[in-house]
Amino acid sequence: MKRTLQDYKSAIAPIWCAGCGDYGVLQSLQKALLELDIPPEEIISISGIGCSGRISHFINSYSLHGTHGRAVPTAIGAKTARPDLTVLALGGDGDGLGIGGGHIPHAARKNIDITYLLIDNRIYGLTKGQTSPTSPLGQKTKTAPFGAYEDPMEPLPIFLSYGVSFVARASGLNAKEMQQIMKEAIAHKGMSIVYIQTPCKTFPVIDPKAIKELFQPLPEDHPRDNKMKAIELAFSQKPLYTGVFYQEQRPTLEDRLQTIMQTASKKNEGGKAYSVEQILKSYA
Amino acid sequence: MMSTIQKDTEIDFVVRIGGEGGDGVISAGELFASAAARTEYHVFTYITYPAEIRGGFSMIQIRTQNSTVYSMGSHVDYLVVFNQVAYDRTVKELKPGGTLIYDPDEVTIEEGLEANVYPIPLTKLVTEISGSKLGKNVVALGALGHLFDIDLNVLEKLIQDRYGSKGQEAVQKNILALKAGYEAGVKIDWERKFHLLTNKDAKSQYMMISGNEAVALGAIAAGCRFVAGYPITPATPIFETLTKLMPMVGGRAIQLEDEIASISACIGASFGGLKAITPTSGPGFQLMGEQMNLASMLELPMVIVDVQRGGPSTGLPTKTEQSDLKYAIYGTAGESPRVILAPIGVEDSFYQTIRAFNIAERFQMPVVLMTDQSIGYRKATVKIPDLSKIIEVPNDVPAEDIHIPSPERVDIASRITPVEADLSTFKRFQATENGVSPITVPGMAGGQYLATGLEHDETGKANYTPEIHKLMNKKRFGKLATLSEVFEKNSPEYEGSDKAKIGVIGWGSTYGAIKEARQLAEKRGIIFRHLHPKVISPLPESQIRHFLAGLKEVVIVEENYTGQFAHFIKGKFGVKPIEIHKAEGVPITPEEIYTGIEKVARIVDEENIARL
Repeated sequence: MKRTLQDYKSAIAPIWCAGCGDYGVLQSLQKALLELDIPPEEIISISGIGCSGRISHFINSYSLHGTHGRAVPTAIGAKTARPDLTVLALGGDGDGLGIGGGHIPHAARKNIDITYLLIDNRIYGLTKGQTSPTSPLGQKTKTAPFGAYEDPMEPLPIFLSYGVSFVARASGLNAKEMQQIMKEAIAHKGMSIVYIQTPCKTFPVIDPKAIKELFQPLPEDHPRDNKMKAIELAFSQKPLYTGVFYQEQRPTLEDRLQTIMQTASKKNEGGKAYSVEQILKSYA
Repeated sequence: MMSTIQKDTEIDFVVRIGGEGGDGVISAGELFASAAARTEYHVFTYITYPAEIRGGFSMIQIRTQNSTVYSMGSHVDYLVVFNQVAYDRTVKELKPGGTLIYDPDEVTIEEGLEANVYPIPLTKLVTEISGSKLGKNVVALGALGHLFDIDLNVLEKLIQDRYGSKGQEAVQKNILALKAGYEAGVKIDWERKFHLLTNKDAKSQYMMISGNEAVALGAIAAGCRFVAGYPITPATPIFETLTKLMPMVGGRAIQLEDEIASISACIGASFGGLKAITPTSGPGFQLMGEQMNLASMLELPMVIVDVQRGGPSTGLPTKTEQSDLKYAIYGTAGESPRVILAPIGVEDSFYQTIRAFNIAERFQMPVVLMTDQSIGYRKATVKIPDLSKIIEVPNDVPAEDIHIPSPERVDIASRITPVEADLSTFKRFQATENGVSPITVPGMAGGQYLATGLEHDETGKANYTPEIHKLMNKKRFGKLATLSEVFEKNSPEYEGSDKAKIGVIGWGSTYGAIKEARQLAEKRGIIFRHLHPKVISPLPESQIRHFLAGLKEVVIVEENYTGQFAHFIKGKFGVKPIEIHKAEGVPITPEEIYTGIEKVARIVDEENIARL
């Protein structure tokens, strides 16, 4: 039986504000999963806290909506335990760049085969408009009534420097391109991040129309395997490039754990895993 | 050279080796313990070491007995000291008439010491062999080898095993040092009272393991195939052991960037369907608080091991304390059910770990296993369980029929999954009578659900209505209520006479010391009974009331400053216990407990006289 988009929707209807960019992100993701033909029961979706953190409620999958900032390490555990499944981590700029930002380099070092959709609206929307790590300098927010006093974070060059093996940016306003990038990210073997920039309707930080004009696809001849070039383009503010900045194939955590398992049981008969009995007797 | 093993004598002696960190004190002691363990006797080691890599006072104590050893003992029979600091800090614990071995070039001993003193120039002897001071520990081991009549071949084999990875040159140097020490012993006319002759058949069914290793092995036996952790003293050896064993049994071990990430990974793995564990100690355990709540809210099984150390803050990383109890029971914001188990020794650490998994899996919640540095670093001889008696408990067996894992029988329980026919009406968080609702595992078609840390209804959908919060609290805590009923059915965990007027309560690592204090007291005409619950929360209340009935005085012994378990007991049972606390970073001894109880006994006697 052929699956339809409906198969990727949970019984729970989204509760975001009208016109929120997260609707588009959700639908692009569901379409990407459909096109990749991944059975819903073979998907684990793990999200953090924030407006976009709610996204796991609306996907028909094994969905886990955890605490603030811990979607990535939770997804690491899920994927390590279940390498046979597709594991997604989802969340916003506060979740992934603020409280949980310290987890990303280590996930990158593991090259854990998960896809992380980091959905950035440059504001804390759920708690009604406080400064986020990407809020522009001078931006008036509820916690910066006189204007934001920190420089905003520039995430893409950081992900590239961390060694994330697939780094892309998508505009939340371009559903078709976003869906295509998500498909590639999920298909990628290793840690992939899709950095999605999408405006908040209720607490607008930037004018959606102005930002729409800033987005521009990466040059068609951009070499995906050139990290220095990727970093250079990732720093560009005008335009804000969209597409896959960098992709490399290197062993995933699972590949390396398989090697370790083979080494660990090499001396056992037929290279089989040791039994509990053998382990206990080895301490006699 | 042949000596006969003294069959009928009561064997009980304590050897302590002390020196500077980096002197190889612990290595020498562990090798001695391994040699002693190859006899028919039982051994028990206790280690204290500095928090720094090198320097500072370090010591190991080995107690050897005919039967299971319960504590490190109160006094030292044989003391070996490498330097002045070790002598100064430990000589007061040497029994009058005991034996002192010391390096005369390093240590000046006081005049008139009531002991048999034997100067052996450990440093000089090893310098003559290798031109370096390294290896004086092995010279000392050689001397002890002669003193206790250990077969030199056995010691050579142990050295080969221990230093083989450093190359044959290192092994040969150590063997020369060993022989030099042994020869020094031969020249001494000392009384060889105990003979640790290897008896091949004596104990092939025994493992010589630490408490930390026992936890790791228990996890493997319980079917745990996922560990995530972050190194922290004194829990690191559990993690190290599991990183080695997991891939050997087809499991997965990963190191994360901190404790928050570690427990998060366990949540992910448990959600994925694996039995998961994370070992830690106080500071890391605190960081796990929020995620422990989440596991409770998502009703995911997992085992968190807290190998307690001296606190607060960085505190005394390498020393022992029982001071995380309140945090474990009450800590974390909001109300989240969890179970606290406290193993009483090395062997029990193995079985309680399996029990922790059984409870976590069957009742879908985090179980905290609380040991401490003194159990974790203690080594003891443990009988290998009969693996033919490991029973995988089917899901339809009620929780009360699952046996508490013991050397006689090891039951292994797993989480209850719904049968396929029920999936069409599957509600992940169904508010059942006993609180347990079947859980699906990713990959199971039609079993998809949402697990959210938000309050949620039976299907998993977020819902903050008064009715739902009430219902779901009842569901989650209903599991604890069910567990309490199960625990009540267990046989009472106390020892000693029902006629006793004094009752002593302890928890965790103090078991052996209290047991020996009781034996000591009985010899001197004081009787008391001893309760040592392994389940700390939820406490088996009616059993405890039964224990308390008829007592004139209740004494609670624990290794912390404020009496955390005593507060817990007072709050629950309205008793006014006499509290014996020790918060010095070192375990309480049987003698210290006895001294306290003797005073209590006097009070009880006076009360009796007053009533006459």
